[in-house]
Amino acid sequence: MSYAQRDTPILAKLCTLLVEDQYGELASRIFTVLARHGRQTLPSIVRASYLNSRQIKYGLIVLIQQHLVFHSSFLDPTTTYYEIDWQQAYSLVRYGKILKAVEDRFGGKAANVMSNLIALGHTRIQDLREAYFPPSDNNSDAGSDSGRVNGKVNGHKPNGTANGANGHNNGHSNGHGEGEEDVNDLTIQSEEELDAIIHHLMLEGWIIRVDEIQYLSPGDIQGMVQREVLGEQHDGKMPSGVKAKEQMVFEINSRKRAMRDDWCRVPKCNSRKRLASDPDFSRTTKRLKQGALEWQPRDANNIVMLESGLVIRTNPEKISVALRTEQLVHLVEQRLGPVTAKIYEVMLRLMETTIARAYEPYADPPPSDPDAMGPEVQDKHLVTAQDVAKKLDKDLDILDGLDPYHVVRLVEADTRVRYDTTNRQINPPVDPTTLSYQTRTKVIDCHIRRLADDPFHFTTWHSRAGFSQWHVEFDELSKSLIQHEIETTIQSRGGDRGPLGVKLIRALKKKGKLDERQTCNTMMMPAGEIRQIANEMAVQGFVQTQEIPKVERREAKHSIHLIWYDRQRAREKLLHDTYKGMIRILQRIAFEKEKVRELLNKAERSDVVGNEEKWLSQDELSVLRKWKEVQDKLLLQLLREDDLVATLRDHTGPLTSP
Amino acid sequence: MASASVAAPEAVKRDEDEALDQARTQQERMEQLYQKCAEAPEGTVFFQRDLANMAIANMQELVVILQELVDRHLMKIMQFDGEPCWKVRTKEEAERLRKLTPEERLLYHHIDQVQADGIWSKALRMRTNVTTQMLNKCLKSLESKDLVQSVMSVKHPNRKMYLLKHLRPSEDIAGGPWQSEGEFDMPLIRIVAEVVEKIIEKETCLEVPGNWNDYPRAATQDRSAEIARKKAQQKEVMDIEDTPVRTFRPPRDPNRITTVLRDSPKYPTATSLRDAINNANIIKDKSLSVADMEQLLEMMVLEGRLEKIMGNNYRLASRALSTQENFNGFVDAPCGNCPVFEICSDEGEISARTCVYFGEWLDTESEAV
Repeated sequence: MSYAQRDTPILAKLCTLLVEDQYGELASRIFTVLARHGRQTLPSIVRASYLNSRQIKYGLIVLIQQHLVFHSSFLDPTTTYYEIDWQQAYSLVRYGKILKAVEDRFGGKAANVMSNLIALGHTRIQDLREAYFPPSDNNSDAGSDSGRVNGKVNGHKPNGTANGANGHNNGHSNGHGEGEEDVNDLTIQSEEELDAIIHHLMLEGWIIRVDEIQYLSPGDIQGMVQREVLGEQHDGKMPSGVKAKEQMVFEINSRKRAMRDDWCRVPKCNSRKRLASDPDFSRTTKRLKQGALEWQPRDANNIVMLESGLVIRTNPEKISVALRTEQLVHLVEQRLGPVTAKIYEVMLRLMETTIARAYEPYADPPPSDPDAMGPEVQDKHLVTAQDVAKKLDKDLDILDGLDPYHVVRLVEADTRVRYDTTNRQINPPVDPTTLSYQTRTKVIDCHIRRLADDPFHFTTWHSRAGFSQWHVEFDELSKSLIQHEIETTIQSRGGDRGPLGVKLIRALKKKGKLDERQTCNTMMMPAGEIRQIANEMAVQGFVQTQEIPKVERREAKHSIHLIWYDRQRAREKLLHDTYKGMIRILQRIAFEKEKVRELLNKAERSDVVGNEEKWLSQDELSVLRKWKEVQDKLLLQLLREDDLVATLRDHTGPLTSP
Repeated sequence: MASASVAAPEAVKRDEDEALDQARTQQERMEQLYQKCAEAPEGTVFFQRDLANMAIANMQELVVILQELVDRHLMKIMQFDGEPCWKVRTKEEAERLRKLTPEERLLYHHIDQVQADGIWSKALRMRTNVTTQMLNKCLKSLESKDLVQSVMSVKHPNRKMYLLKHLRPSEDIAGGPWQSEGEFDMPLIRIVAEVVEKIIEKETCLEVPGNWNDYPRAATQDRSAEIARKKAQQKEVMDIEDTPVRTFRPPRDPNRITTVLRDSPKYPTATSLRDAINNANIIKDKSLSVADMEQLLEMMVLEGRLEKIMGNNYRLASRALSTQENFNGFVDAPCGNCPVFEICSDEGEISARTCVYFGEWLDTESEAV
């Protein structure tokens, strides 16, 4: 079974709460039945619930439209099985983050399109166009029309739990010197612009094509592909030899990959020459060019025309790439400072375009001899300091955080300065914004080397092509991130003894299974102190214990007592706890809401909305404010816990080796 | 010094027929010889030749006198390269030894034999063939008489090793320079670790004041910052998640010292650090080996104080530049540190509705149970 598709009771509970919050009681009741009983046909859902089949069909439609449920009608139309897509169900909590990520990268308009797409689940291009630009209206009126739809979109909360999205859609400059006037202007002007945005998001991998196979559960897909492979290559019989079986697995995986990559491929789109009668779009392009956003096709004279029958949805896997970038940048900021972090962010975002997912679930088994084939890095994943220099914010003080003596040498080509050791100042000061391109590149390369030198190995040197080319070993980094999060948790939970717990975990990670004396020697501490912390960690589930009897009577006194640390177990324990923490937050939100329900009902009445000051008393207003605060605090924490889930779950597969 | 291996004393028959005066002169000579030997620097080993050279007694008499001295525990007979040799004991020590029971004396000799390496009580019993009760009794009385000491072995933590009181246990049983009396010497480790950190910092880092590069900031930058600030103000409810995004500006406070890593510094290794610590004479009369130093450095890496880079070079761990304590989403919420997290359920006495920690954190009322 697919790693991501494994469900635990705790995840089922969490997802049910999310579905209920989002799509109401009917959908959530059917979801619960599926969560409890697993894969079901329609009649068995009827039996397991107190709903009639008509109600269930309505509920299922919602769930299917939102891709929360797999169904097998593609394989066998006579009996259809329904099964929950846990990955998608969980990502309900991420909708706000998707919008934020898209907005950060491609601006408010793209986020606007994305938010509609999320609300709709999937849609035909034509339907989306019509939603934005109703055909009945006159074209000259497009501005106001789109204003209505966009207004609705902006006001529409795509996710009850995603408070971030709306705030951002309201237009929040990312400080790139965009003029103030176009910040709030997020209305999409024309169908051409809409198409261009969608096309660009497809190129970047955020939007993919919908295919019927996407509705099959991972198990069904596996079965289907396996039958195909067996039929074509093994005469429909299971191969017997080990080698032949390996060959079959290899073939199945590569077919799955090909199928999935096909969804992400951007369909060939018609383009036509820009005509003189496209005033709107040309104006838009110009403005887009001024900003940091460029989503017109490579050839600015062509206008993209997407096929109107094309069905699209958001790429559910892409957000984990963006979340990973965010986590890594955050970690770099903590370790190496904000300037290096900024540079790292630019590097990672440059790579993002070509990375469809954070982790490859259908990877070929690694070659038995890892040295035989060096890590193959594709050219498209390489970044040089020059690439960064082109994209990096010019105002950033890139000299900060470097050795002043070295800075003096770096800027030599531009300006002669020296480091005054008594004042500890550079004389005369160097304004980093005035540095030449070459020098900037050199300085940036310096920061990238700092990234590479760090024990986390944030970057890895790949080859020399004029300038050093760097790549990022995401797999190793993701493992380190997981370890880092586990350590952070232990550190915080332990209070004063937190650092000791971290030390124990690291010692065990490095040395494997240890008995008491070896632990003492590695940690250079008396046994008494270690015993206490080891006990605590074992209770929390981060450290495992083992007793090996030495004598036949298995006396405890004569046994060897070992402790060890299993990354995968610790990871799953922490993931489980985090899910549970998220559930508690959702439940607390519900409880807090319940307490102010009457007031909320009043405040949401149509005559009160907008006139709160007039119709609500001072007390009521302050209670409302307090409720808002509480909700915001809880939601923020929920999203932060989701960050942790992303790190623990989505960036790498099971960790088998210690 | 001679590595000693002593033959167990044999019961010596006294010649009863010896004349009294002869005995007296012998007594005097014995005193003389003992005095002479005691004057030599402590721990000197005398061979028969050396004793004869003292010109106190002839060879025949000397044998008798020495035997008498050994009987009285004033001298200890040992062997070096197959040749017998002797060592002086102090009078007080001899006095204490004289008071021992034969079993105790036997054990004492065996313990004496192994010197600083110590002997395990079980091994002692095997060699002496006394009963366990007798062994325990004798060892206890020897310890109370301040003649022997027991030390927990580092190699075998449940073994009690016995050795003479005045000796310092060897590294084999007491552990390396980091251990004293079988336990890790935490204060010592702490101090040396601090010194190591200082040395590494001096070699690889540089302190830089906040205003090290005091270039004038262009007016336009301040303007964009101003715009961002204004926008943030305009929004009614400030989103918790976004503080206005601004290009990072390091503060210019000259008193705000930051530590930056030197460009291509020479990272210290275990060997260079060991030399530095040994030269600084921090550890009293012990010197570190490279392996000892590596043990300490590895431990410091585990503690997150150092980072190992490029094989066996060490540098200081990069610390978060921001001082804010920020863990992760889970442990920053009440659930992450909750003592009753494991028994918290969807409903019941301990649940999200009744949670006092949530109440405290959000400053709201929880449901009373």
